Amino acid sequence: MAAKRYTSMAYASADEMTFGVAKYPVKAGLGLEIGAGYTIPEVNYAPRPEAGASKEKLVREYERITTDIMERMVQVGFPAVILETEHVQQMSNNPSWGAEVAHAQKTIMEKYHDEYGIKCALRHTIGDIRENREFMQLRGDKYSVFLEAFEECAKAGADLLSVESMGGKEIFDYAILRNDIAGMLYAIGCLGSIDMEMVWTDISNIAKKTGTVSAGDTDCAQANTAMFIGGGLLNKNLAHTIAVLARAISAPRSLVAYESGAVGPGKDCGYENVIIKAITGMPMTTEGKTSTCAHSDVMGNLIMECCDCWSNESVEYHGEFGGTTVQCWAESLAYDCALMNTALETKNDKVLRDLLMLSDRYRDPQAYVLAYDNAYRVGQAIVKDGENIYLRAKNAAVECCNIVSEGAAGKLELSRFETNALADAKAALDALPDDMDKFMDDCLTKYKSEVKVFLPENYGL
Amino acid sequence: MLDFTEASLKRVLTRYNVALEKALTPEEAAEEIYPKDELIYPIAKAIFEGEEDDVIEGLQAAIDAGKDPIALIDDALMVGMGVVIRLYDEGVIFLPNVMMSADAMLEGIEYCKENSGAAPKTKGTIVCHVAEGDVHDIGKNIVTALLRANGYNVVDLGRDVPSEEVLAAVKKEKPLMLTGTALMTTTMYAFKDVNDKLLENGVKIPFVCGGGAVNQDFVSQFTLGIYGEEAADAPKIADAILAGTTDVAELREKFHKH
Repeated sequence: MAAKRYTSMAYASADEMTFGVAKYPVKAGLGLEIGAGYTIPEVNYAPRPEAGASKEKLVREYERITTDIMERMVQVGFPAVILETEHVQQMSNNPSWGAEVAHAQKTIMEKYHDEYGIKCALRHTIGDIRENREFMQLRGDKYSVFLEAFEECAKAGADLLSVESMGGKEIFDYAILRNDIAGMLYAIGCLGSIDMEMVWTDISNIAKKTGTVSAGDTDCAQANTAMFIGGGLLNKNLAHTIAVLARAISAPRSLVAYESGAVGPGKDCGYENVIIKAITGMPMTTEGKTSTCAHSDVMGNLIMECCDCWSNESVEYHGEFGGTTVQCWAESLAYDCALMNTALETKNDKVLRDLLMLSDRYRDPQAYVLAYDNAYRVGQAIVKDGENIYLRAKNAAVECCNIVSEGAAGKLELSRFETNALADAKAALDALPDDMDKFMDDCLTKYKSEVKVFLPENYGL
Repeated sequence: MLDFTEASLKRVLTRYNVALEKALTPEEAAEEIYPKDELIYPIAKAIFEGEEDDVIEGLQAAIDAGKDPIALIDDALMVGMGVVIRLYDEGVIFLPNVMMSADAMLEGIEYCKENSGAAPKTKGTIVCHVAEGDVHDIGKNIVTALLRANGYNVVDLGRDVPSEEVLAAVKKEKPLMLTGTALMTTTMYAFKDVNDKLLENGVKIPFVCGGGAVNQDFVSQFTLGIYGEEAADAPKIADAILAGTTDVAELREKFHKH
């Protein structure tokens, strides 16, 4: 199936968007309807490293994790929860391991659902195992194992299928450390989108076949790499005005999943998901202040503004004073959701949305662009040339520059360094051609010679 | 839509990077510390600007004027890189500038080697790798660039490196230290295996680990482990070792931040 490109917005205005409500809700798992008027905590966890020693140990670890979360949810009276299992490499490289974990988790969730009526679903995020020691191998031998992992997990109990796919990363890693805007566009906007279409067409077919949900991707490998390298306000590794460009460009790339059959909820660490919700109307998971167990960010409240599921990104399973980590973070997430759901029930949702948004709006250019009104504008720039993966990525980048410049003329303070990096990026964007073929040819020549691990055949080029 | 007044915004957040920004621009700051020699200055400046062609042009002019190509590595290229590293450490410039300068410096070193036939002297050798099972190597690439920028010879073993291969490289190269990076909690366990293999073979060198989910508590669990929170810590630890601090406990005391 060819991707069905978005050329218009799902919402007539940014103000129509809020948390807990999506234009196209998704039914999943045991009684859940996502984006149907309430928000849902989505708990994500990692096994202790030593648990990976054998399949039996790993399955047992996930049984403990699942029981702990479900037990805490009912102990504190929360009505719904999603569990997200991000595969450790053993589970995707050996699909039967992933399947056994999914089955063990779902069995426990069913027990709690049957006993207490708690609504729940299980997301499995398959590891993108398509590379070997030297090169990415996106279309090589490992692709079939990768797809098998999805199918086996879906058959064994996973309700929502996701991945953090890595197409374009070999170029991105090179470009981001050199302020190379054209390279970022090529990596995320073009190569990433090409790979996404192949991957998500196949995942969506598996979802159809197994009666599960093709849920969505995140540009973790690239936009989050930029965000993490950018770090906090005092870190000196990357201008935040460049990091936000990577984010803007990641939106048309992650959008491809939904153009290839995915229906949401988009995966938690996709900070671009607010842009994607504006375009698709599909439910989205986001993470922020309650994912500090995994990483810091500069928009912890703001990014909750339009979420449908609210995640903690990941936490290693071990003990804390308040219980195990998954119990503590699940409870925090669920209380956040209880507040959002109260706002929805009392018709104060837009007030809370705006408070969350405003508290971080001027904290950083990354937050400013992802404020829902500005995110909507990036979405409009994308769908304007929705049929052309290069032009729409370039549009997103240009609009992102415009938004930050406008913000800087008002209350968004930028350092001189951020201002200069933005000006350089703008000049680089202005110098790019409008013709996709020319851009692709130029980049192919340049990066084939500069990035030794770049194999064009990974993208059918 | 809700919004702040200028005054109310200041009660909610502070962009400290703006509030504390240095008065000098990076170019002005660099200009103050460039070497003054008229043959060396353009090379150092080209390194700072990351302009590879200008570096080669400057080197050629210096060689034509009678400078020894190998001596130019220390006297011009490393001096230019020293400007870059100093300004990076002072927070005046950012990592991409360092990476571009390092690219230009490496090209310059190759050019000097070609024009001399001799091998340059480095501050010492360091072996770098990404943990077995882990293919995420952007952190390792930053570490190797910063080490090279600081004058070290780096033996880069790449990513997903088996412990046996790390051991073999360490035995062969006899480095000042070993670095290991990993993104995931599940792969960082390989560090312990490397540590144990080194000890079994009687090799006691500092093993600097960092990246992604790696943390100080974990690295402190194995005998040779030293935690590097930032990539920029790697050359600082190497400098400390070179200056005589080789004891792991002392290095931990100096570089562990938590």
